[in-house]
Amino acid sequence: MAYGLRFIRSAWPVASALALLLLLWQFGAAALDIPTYILPRPAEIFVTAIAKWPLLGDALTVTLIEAVGGFLLGAAIGIVLAVLMILVPPLEALLMPIAVVINAVPSIAFVPLVLLWFGLGMESKIAIGALAVVLVVLLNLLAGLKRPEADAINLMRSFGAGRIGILWRLQLPAAMPGLVTGLRVGLARSTIAVIVAEMMGAYSGIGQVIYQATGQVDYLTVWAAVFVASLGSLALYGVLVAIDRKLVWWR
Amino acid sequence: MNARALARSPVASVVYVAAAWLVLVPLFKVQPRYLPPLPVVLADGLSVWPDLVAGFWRTLVETVLGFLAGVVLGVGFGIAFSASRIMERAFLPIFVALQTVPVIAFGAIVVIWFGNTIMAKVVIALYLAFFPIAVNTLRGLELADPQRIALMKSFGASHLQLFLKLALPTALPNILIGMKLAVALSLAGAIVGEWFGDTVGLGVMLLQALYFEQIPRVWVLIIACGAMGTLLYGALVLLERRFVWWRTD
Amino acid sequence: MPDETTAVATPPHLQLVNVWKRFGEAPKQTVAVRNVDLSIEPGAFVTLIGPSGCGKSTLFSMISGLLPPDSDGSLLLNGKVQQDGALLGKIAFMPQRDLLFPWRTVLDNATLALEVEGMPRRRARAKAEALFPEFGLGGFEQHYPHQLSGGMRQRVALMRTFLFERDLILLDEPFGALDALTRSMMQRWLLDIWAKHRRTVLFITHDIDEAIFLGDKVVVMTARPGTIKCEEAITLPRPRDLGVVTTPEFMAVKKKLLAVVEEESLKTFAAASP
Repeated sequence: MAYGLRFIRSAWPVASALALLLLLWQFGAAALDIPTYILPRPAEIFVTAIAKWPLLGDALTVTLIEAVGGFLLGAAIGIVLAVLMILVPPLEALLMPIAVVINAVPSIAFVPLVLLWFGLGMESKIAIGALAVVLVVLLNLLAGLKRPEADAINLMRSFGAGRIGILWRLQLPAAMPGLVTGLRVGLARSTIAVIVAEMMGAYSGIGQVIYQATGQVDYLTVWAAVFVASLGSLALYGVLVAIDRKLVWWR
Repeated sequence: MNARALARSPVASVVYVAAAWLVLVPLFKVQPRYLPPLPVVLADGLSVWPDLVAGFWRTLVETVLGFLAGVVLGVGFGIAFSASRIMERAFLPIFVALQTVPVIAFGAIVVIWFGNTIMAKVVIALYLAFFPIAVNTLRGLELADPQRIALMKSFGASHLQLFLKLALPTALPNILIGMKLAVALSLAGAIVGEWFGDTVGLGVMLLQALYFEQIPRVWVLIIACGAMGTLLYGALVLLERRFVWWRTD
Repeated sequence: MPDETTAVATPPHLQLVNVWKRFGEAPKQTVAVRNVDLSIEPGAFVTLIGPSGCGKSTLFSMISGLLPPDSDGSLLLNGKVQQDGALLGKIAFMPQRDLLFPWRTVLDNATLALEVEGMPRRRARAKAEALFPEFGLGGFEQHYPHQLSGGMRQRVALMRTFLFERDLILLDEPFGALDALTRSMMQRWLLDIWAKHRRTVLFITHDIDEAIFLGDKVVVMTARPGTIKCEEAITLPRPRDLGVVTTPEFMAVKKKLLAVVEEESLKTFAAASP
């Protein structure tokens, strides 16, 4: 009950601001006589999104499956690598330079390569999504695992804790905030990378819808697709925030 | 000690990766479809050297212009948010939400607005750079410690003095964090912006390499993109070391 | 107080024989701890004072097994020589800062050492819960550390140390960060707990009053490189209360120790300024 009240109190400024922006857009564009092909009105976009839902819904499903698949794969690889590097320091010395070099390249620059390797199907999208996530999760988690100070590690040692004990009871919990940051950034990146890859070559997906609609000069559909994709990635983000709260419960 | 620091530097990483590429690819007979030998890639890069330089330069200009505009706009909005609670509570959540939007999809729309001009890429780069800078500026400004504010007020400081002498220096390390995130996004924005139609730029060359399935060329461009990303990031790090050496706790 | 008849027969609980710790190689070598000989009887409360930077912390790290002493000296626990690292897990050690884990409740922070030892969670919790009233933390079991005051956090850290049931407890300036009032309450409370549980305690502090008030014996360290300057047995009767600090006996000891500590502090000061 109290929670609901607090939610309403924090939600109303956002809701009214959003409504204000939409109204400004809707009537401002009309008042300034901006042609709809340059800036469609929100109402039109909404109507188009609903009218084209069979197409957009299917495309969104494909995109979300690819984005979530890539995200999960990349996060899993990143987490395993970070833990291995902490347990086996020579591995870090061996692999870290490669991670640093790959991290310097914007992940979308790998899109052509991934398309050439894995073809136009879902595999290439999942691969690019995973690539966009791996490094940010790896680097954030590794920094987090190294965060506990020497004093805290010494305390654990004085209790007779071994390497695994220190990792499990001290380093992993201490790294959770870093991991959560990495996961959030990674999710946004993997969604973007997947949509970009779809634009460059795919059989289906939101990116492909946008690409085709641009080619057919059907700008209303482009806007509707962007709108639907935004709702989709917002929903994903919401799920992730809820999971993050569970991972960092003590704040 | 010094040798160890050198061994851990990014330059050493590049040398190490290049050496591994040079040795391991022939050793394990990696298929050129996945990773061509380094000399092949370098030779390919040299064969298109003038195009490469022109493309690099063009993409760099788009990125830097978009980034700088994003800094101005982002810091401005960050300050506005910190100055007004209503603004922050009403608009910040929308900003955070917009950040998760697959903004690159707007590329198509931006190209409709600005045509195939350099402006289109600059605007996309700006759009991507804007959010992390605005959010980090706001967070940085909010870090100013109430006790230090009280101290400044006891000296009779005005709002402007409070801002210039306390809030802004406190926020600068965070603003730099936002800028480092933003510069990578600007580069990505410029590259993708070029895909919606242009004739010069690293993004254009990437697209062509994809169509003609020139794997060595793709690797040349990946290296070029990485070099540009590192260059821009390195410039920010130098700026940070020179002007923002303190940490906010 | 140690039992006179058995004290002769049993070896000291902890004995340091010619303990050294040097860092670095010959020309640039710094000596942190030099030729320390110290013995602590079972059940005794020994306090250690010295100027800042005298190597107290290095000495502590060696006693708790985190740092091996140089090979010319030895550490004996119950009369047995301890090899490198052998002391880890044998001594209950409480570092200067509370080092509570922010992601654990107060209860789970208290049971940390027990969990590391492999005790099932439920049993560890039951054991800890019984101690909460005694440590003045009743009702705070499910709170998180950031919800507690400094004094309470310190008590949680002490409880964690006590639950790690070792006969020898090392406390490194546990009350250093507390305000004077809280501090003096914590000191009396610690004496109560000690009287009830009867563990051997080695307590580092830089506060002379605290050292005299708590200890059976006060050990003074010299300026760096640190060694034992002198030992002073404190014969003030127990249980001690607040009034004891104004007695002539207390004053006499304090005067004597102040002079010694002052002399050492001046050396540190002179060494630091050109």
